[in-house]
Amino acid sequence: MPAAPETYSLGQPVAISDIGAELKKLWQEGEGAMTRASLINLAVYSEKAGSLEKNTRLIAKITENHACRALVIGATRESKEDRVEAWVNAHCHVTRAGGKQICSEQISFSLQGPCVKLLPSIVFSHLDSDLPLYLWWQDELPNEMDPQLWAWVDRLIFDSQTWKDFDKQMRLVETAEQEAKQRIVLCDLNWTRLDKVRYALAQFFDHPASHHHFAEMESVRVEFAPGYKSTAILLIGWLAAQLKWKTNQQQLNGSCRFLDSNDRKIDIELQEKAGSPIGEIVLNSQSVKFCVTPAKCGDLLEVSRSGEKETALPQMMPAQSNDPVDLMTQERLRGGPHRVYLCAVSAVRTLLGSGGSPNRH
Amino acid sequence: MNRAADQSQTNPLREGLSTRAVPQPCSIVIFGATGDLTHRKLLPALYNLAADGELPPAVTVIGFARRPKTDDEFRKEMEEAVRNFSRQAVRDEIWKNFAQSIFYHQSDFADESGFKSLAQQLEKVDQERGTRGNRLFYFAVGPEQFEPILKHLRTAGLNKAPEGSWARVIVEKPFGTDLDSARELNRVISNSFSEEQTYRIDHFLGKETAQNILVLRFANAIFEPLWNTRYIDHVQITASETLGVETRGGYYETAGALRDMVQNHLLQLLCLVAMEAPSDLRADSIRDEKVKVVRCLRRMTADEVAIDVVRGQYSDGAINGKSVPAYRKEEKVDPKSTTDTFVALRLNIDNWRWWDVPIYMRVGKRLPKSGTEISVHFKKAPMVLFNKETNEANVLVIRIQPDEGISLRMQAKIPGTSFRIEPVKMDFHYGTTFGKASPEAYERLLLDAMSGDATLFARRDEVEEAWAFIDAIEDAWSAKKDAPELYFYPAGSWGPEQADELLARDGRAWRRF
Repeated sequence: MPAAPETYSLGQPVAISDIGAELKKLWQEGEGAMTRASLINLAVYSEKAGSLEKNTRLIAKITENHACRALVIGATRESKEDRVEAWVNAHCHVTRAGGKQICSEQISFSLQGPCVKLLPSIVFSHLDSDLPLYLWWQDELPNEMDPQLWAWVDRLIFDSQTWKDFDKQMRLVETAEQEAKQRIVLCDLNWTRLDKVRYALAQFFDHPASHHHFAEMESVRVEFAPGYKSTAILLIGWLAAQLKWKTNQQQLNGSCRFLDSNDRKIDIELQEKAGSPIGEIVLNSQSVKFCVTPAKCGDLLEVSRSGEKETALPQMMPAQSNDPVDLMTQERLRGGPHRVYLCAVSAVRTLLGSGGSPNRH
Repeated sequence: MNRAADQSQTNPLREGLSTRAVPQPCSIVIFGATGDLTHRKLLPALYNLAADGELPPAVTVIGFARRPKTDDEFRKEMEEAVRNFSRQAVRDEIWKNFAQSIFYHQSDFADESGFKSLAQQLEKVDQERGTRGNRLFYFAVGPEQFEPILKHLRTAGLNKAPEGSWARVIVEKPFGTDLDSARELNRVISNSFSEEQTYRIDHFLGKETAQNILVLRFANAIFEPLWNTRYIDHVQITASETLGVETRGGYYETAGALRDMVQNHLLQLLCLVAMEAPSDLRADSIRDEKVKVVRCLRRMTADEVAIDVVRGQYSDGAINGKSVPAYRKEEKVDPKSTTDTFVALRLNIDNWRWWDVPIYMRVGKRLPKSGTEISVHFKKAPMVLFNKETNEANVLVIRIQPDEGISLRMQAKIPGTSFRIEPVKMDFHYGTTFGKASPEAYERLLLDAMSGDATLFARRDEVEEAWAFIDAIEDAWSAKKDAPELYFYPAGSWGPEQADELLARDGRAWRRF
């Protein structure tokens, strides 16, 4: 018999003014020993149809490992109705040690019509005090954003892979940063997608005896799945920024050229190929080929270096899952500022495109 | 403790990826490769590091032991061990790769030629696998084996590394059985390896919460101003085990709880709780502060030992409803043994911060519950206003194992019209708060040794100072005349009554564990 699909309800419908009281009731009526836990406020915003249910499923999974106060917001900007609806719910999970149930609260909002503009006031009135606010913006950022919104955001999470116009969106993100009263950390899930391949590539050069290859790099080839060209360009941006390469030749039929600090040419080839968002990556120095390839099992990377005088020592390393829950988990665990990301973006901003999506061909 | 910043300057691709020092490719030679430690801890730890992508690909493991065995036989044995003891399920794809880095070297520890052939094998590994002359020698053997192994390593030239490479030695406890033997052991080690090359492992320091003590104290401004004699009444450290001596009766007869646990684990934890803030996070800066704490421990006279130390041994009893035999009936134990399986102590640290703040420690086998906790008991609020009715103090508890976390007990008003006050607990659990499972202590410590970070390893002076303190107690116990009594406690109890009296006479009691 096939397993029944998991269902996730938005919970108890409540009047906006009664949210606090209804949350309290939720705990009073709960059965068995439960601990309410919260490390962050996680606000998730989407304007896509059905997003409330989809994001409730995501929150249920995310809270298995990251207790939070979740504020899930589904908005329909174009609606003629001006209506706000709200629900409260809790996601409870048994801890790894067993026994205790750890519960995270979720407050869901459906905003229709002009009341979408009330977003900041709705978010602010339901924050768990003293905890950081992570705002996960799942759509493109609108041209006009209420500057108030940025006042309390600690980390802005987005996925540039879904952006149609990288440059325009990035400019909006930068405006948000400038308007914020405090420093917002920009968390691009498209960058998080590269975490494991960056680890795999970096480890080749941990020993000082490998460093001469930086100055001998000749070419880089990166395979990417349809729709993930921006991910591949970000990877190139990272290499360019960290190794001090500068653009020499604009993108042409999937290839481009960089110059290193000694004006040596490094040819970049980007190839679209079905499979993992980032497929095989090959760095060719004069004498050694450094290779990172997704393993057949899907969740591992095969990592190897080979050269004329070298025995190849393949190794398996964990691969990055492309599941949004895993990406969020990875992002949450990493923390800290993302200076390296901003440098990578800056190195390839022209390649990431203005006016046209790098993900479209 | 954190050298990632230095290394990211040399490998620009590491920037932002690692907040810890990056391990270097090396050969790890395990002496005692067929022993329990290798099976239960070392190989599972190395496998987990490989599975998490933390191990450089070239890392090569060479098991060194007496029994004849082929590489494949050794790999098979290790696979079984890893499947039994790894914290994460073994993936065939990962194991297959990892197994290729495991080799076996058969030799007697006393056979010089075995070390010469080891040197040849290591050179071959360097050439074929790119370990670049880096060697980590892990002594998973008894201290009586150290001398021949170290002597032959030196003769074979393996104690020195080629320029740009390193050779390090990891030594397992016990680091001696008293000050003299510890000094002798250190002398033997120092004949072959310098102090910078020597890593004395104490797995308690590899535990997440042990490392978190420094973060709790020095990354939070609220605790440090209160962390002194003015606000702290006393500190308790408890390390209890439900297990008896199992198959280790022979070893335990020569050690006892004081030598086995207090000299190393508990004093190390005390150092982290009591030390001053280091000037930076370099290994020696932290270890300098730790050793000052041990130096400040008030040495006990024989009379003081009789008053401030309680030793006990478990008799017949029951653990979790199951009858268990007395220590004297355990395998390889003298039926008239006077070995301590329980110790409770009252310590004093003679410095400004800890003046007049007693430190109570207890450690024992066959106690009702397993766990290690440190509790900091603050002084009571003035007995006025609400506190006329209540007598509870604030207690900060640092749980080292098994459920790692931190809790704070404070007073709160019970809801209602009357002013009734009850203690409540604010509780932080690692397992609940952070989804990611903590790595095993050995994983962290092996990585540190490969990265050259000695912060979580004991330094020679720490070990010797600790033995000097312990020796005073052992000497009093072994005195022919007026030696303090050995008290018996039923297995499954919290030790002899005298341990409770140790605190009761100061108007205190052990925390409910």
